[in-house]
Amino acid sequence: MLKIALKMLLGDRGKYIGIVTGIALASVLMIQQPGILISIFSRTYSFITDVALPDIWVMDPMVRFIDDSQPMLDTQLYRVRGVQGVEWAVPLYKGNTRVRMANGQLVTSNILGLDDATLIGGPAIILEGRLADLRLPDSVIIDEAGAKGRLAKPSPVPGGKPTPLKVGDSLEINDKRAVVVGIAQATATFGSQPIIYTTFTRARSYSLSERKMLSYILVKTKPEDTVSAVAGRINQATGMAARTAHEFKTMTLEYFRKNTSILTNFGFVVVVGFIVGAAVTGQIFYNFTLDNLRYFAVFKAMGATDRMLQGMILLQALLVGFVGFGLGAGVTGLFAALTQGSTGLAMTLNWQLLVGSSIAVAIIVLFAALISVRKVMQLEPAVVFK
Amino acid sequence: MTANSLPLAVHCAGITKAYGSGDTKVQALRGVDLDVVAGELLMLVGPSGCGKTTLISIIAGILDQDAGQCLLFGEDIVGFAPKERVLYRGRNIGFVFQSFNLIPTLTAAENVAIPLLINGMAMPGAIEHADARLAEVGLAGRERSLPTQLSGGQQQRVAIARALVHNPKLVVCDEPTSALDHETGFKVMETLKQLAVGHDRALVIVTHDARIFSFADRIAHMDDGKIVHIDVPSPKAGAATP
Repeated sequence: MLKIALKMLLGDRGKYIGIVTGIALASVLMIQQPGILISIFSRTYSFITDVALPDIWVMDPMVRFIDDSQPMLDTQLYRVRGVQGVEWAVPLYKGNTRVRMANGQLVTSNILGLDDATLIGGPAIILEGRLADLRLPDSVIIDEAGAKGRLAKPSPVPGGKPTPLKVGDSLEINDKRAVVVGIAQATATFGSQPIIYTTFTRARSYSLSERKMLSYILVKTKPEDTVSAVAGRINQATGMAARTAHEFKTMTLEYFRKNTSILTNFGFVVVVGFIVGAAVTGQIFYNFTLDNLRYFAVFKAMGATDRMLQGMILLQALLVGFVGFGLGAGVTGLFAALTQGSTGLAMTLNWQLLVGSSIAVAIIVLFAALISVRKVMQLEPAVVFK
Repeated sequence: MTANSLPLAVHCAGITKAYGSGDTKVQALRGVDLDVVAGELLMLVGPSGCGKTTLISIIAGILDQDAGQCLLFGEDIVGFAPKERVLYRGRNIGFVFQSFNLIPTLTAAENVAIPLLINGMAMPGAIEHADARLAEVGLAGRERSLPTQLSGGQQQRVAIARALVHNPKLVVCDEPTSALDHETGFKVMETLKQLAVGHDRALVIVTHDARIFSFADRIAHMDDGKIVHIDVPSPKAGAATP
C-alpha cells in the first residue's frame, strides 16, 4: 500500500509540486537566514579566531568586545611578562586609521601593529609576499578583500574598474607613506573594513594622535601551567583583564547580541519561514488528503487498517519533506558557494544548521501529516455509499 | 434457485437504524428481516430514502445497526474487535460503487490489486492476479491504462475485477449501472452475474434501474425503512436484452 500512497501523491503533479515548493521555500528561509546570522556573528570575533597562537588576551577591564580596545600603558607589558607561568607576552595594537586614495578619498581601515620582534598576531595565510617583509621600511600587508575592494586603486577613467593593490604599490596612511609588501587572507570583520598589518612601532607613527598604543597583550602560557591559573595571576598582578580566546570571543558575541537587533530580526524571518512553511505546506497537504478522502474511505471499507492508512499518509508527508528540504538546502548551498569569500552578505552553512533546519522541516511535515491523519481516522467507511 | 437449499450468506433479523437525535432524528431502518443465501443475487430496490444504502452498509460491516442482528456466513462481526472486523471485511467482502471510485493516478491493474495489497500480498503478485481478473472481465490489454483512458463501462468492469480479485464471500454493489447507458449497463450486469455469483458467494445489489431486475434471483422491495415484500423477477421485470 505504500507504493500506492506514493503513486497517489506523485500522480497529482500540481499539488505535489505545490507542497514541495512550499517546503523548499521554507527550508531556504530557515537555512539561509540563520546561515547569514552565523556568518555575521562569527565576523564579530573573526580577528580573535585568526590570531590563534596566544592562550590569553590581556586587556583593560573596560573592554567589552574586540573592537572596543582601551589603550593600556606600555609598562603593563613588562608586568605581564613578570607573572609566573607566562612563556611569552607580546604587544598588539588594534585601531583604526584612514588611508588616502589616489583620488583623494579617505578609506577607514583597521590597523594592526604586531610585535616588532616576533610579528605574532600576523595573518596565518600570506597570498603574496612574506610576513617577515614587514621589517622593511614603511611596509604594510593588506588583506585580500581590502586590496581588491575598498583599497583598490581607483581607475583614472571615471566609472572605470579599480585595480587591486599588489605588492610594491604604495599608500598614504595618516599623511605617511606605506609600501605594500604582502597580500594576506583574513576572515572578514563585522564592518568589512580593510585590514592593514604593520609592526607595533610603525603603527605608532601611523596613529600619532594616540598617547597610549597598547591595545592588547598576547600571552602564551608555559606548558606546565593551566591557562586559567595564569590568567588569574595576571589579573591579580596587573589589575588587567586576562581572558582566554574562547572567553573573549564569547564576550564579543554577547556584546553584539545584546546591543544590536540582528538576532531579533533574523530570528523573526526564521520564525516567519517556519510558520509560513507550516501553514502553506499543511494547507496544501491537507487539501491533497481531502481530495483523496473518498479513496481513503474506499480503502477503509475494503479492510485497510488505521495503521496502514497512517503509514500511507506519513510516507507521503516524509517524501514531500525530504524532496522539499533537499531542494531548499541545495538552493541555499548554491547560494553559499556563490557568496563564499565575498566581503558582502556571505553565509555559513554548517552541519548543525542543516540538522536544525531538517528538524524544523520534519516538524512541519509531521504537523501536515497529523492533521491529515486525524481527518482520515475520523472518516466513516460508510461514506463510500453516499 | 431456492433460498432454503444453500447456506446463509447474510442473515438479518430485526435491524433498526436511526440517524441524528431529538427533532432531527431520522429512522432509516425499522426492523428489517432478510436472508441471502450463498450463490444468490439479491437486489434491494425501492424509492430514494427508503433505507437501501443503510441496509447494504450494515450488511457490508461498514455501519453498525442500533438493534437487531446481522450475521455474515454465521458470524456476527459487530461483536468483533475493531481491527478484526476491518480484517474480516478485507478478506470477505467486495465492493462495487456507483461512481466506480477508481484512483485516477493508478493503472487499471493497480486499482484492481488494492484489495490484495490490503490483505498483505506483495505488489508483483498482486499485479499478476489483477491482470488475470482484468482478462476475465474482458479488459486484457488495458491493464496499464489509467481510469481516464477507459470508458464508463470499462471503468465499472475494472471496479468489478477489483471487487472479485480477492475472492470475497460477499459482494455488495451500490447502483452499479446507474452511471452507464442501457447497453453498457447490461454488459456490466452480465459480467457481474457470470463472475460474481457462485455457490460460495452471494451478491447484493442496490439499484433503481428496473432494466436490470431480470438478472436478480430475488428482489427485496423496501419502503420507509422496511422490506415490504420479496419476489422473484418475471422475465418482464426488466429488459434482459440490451
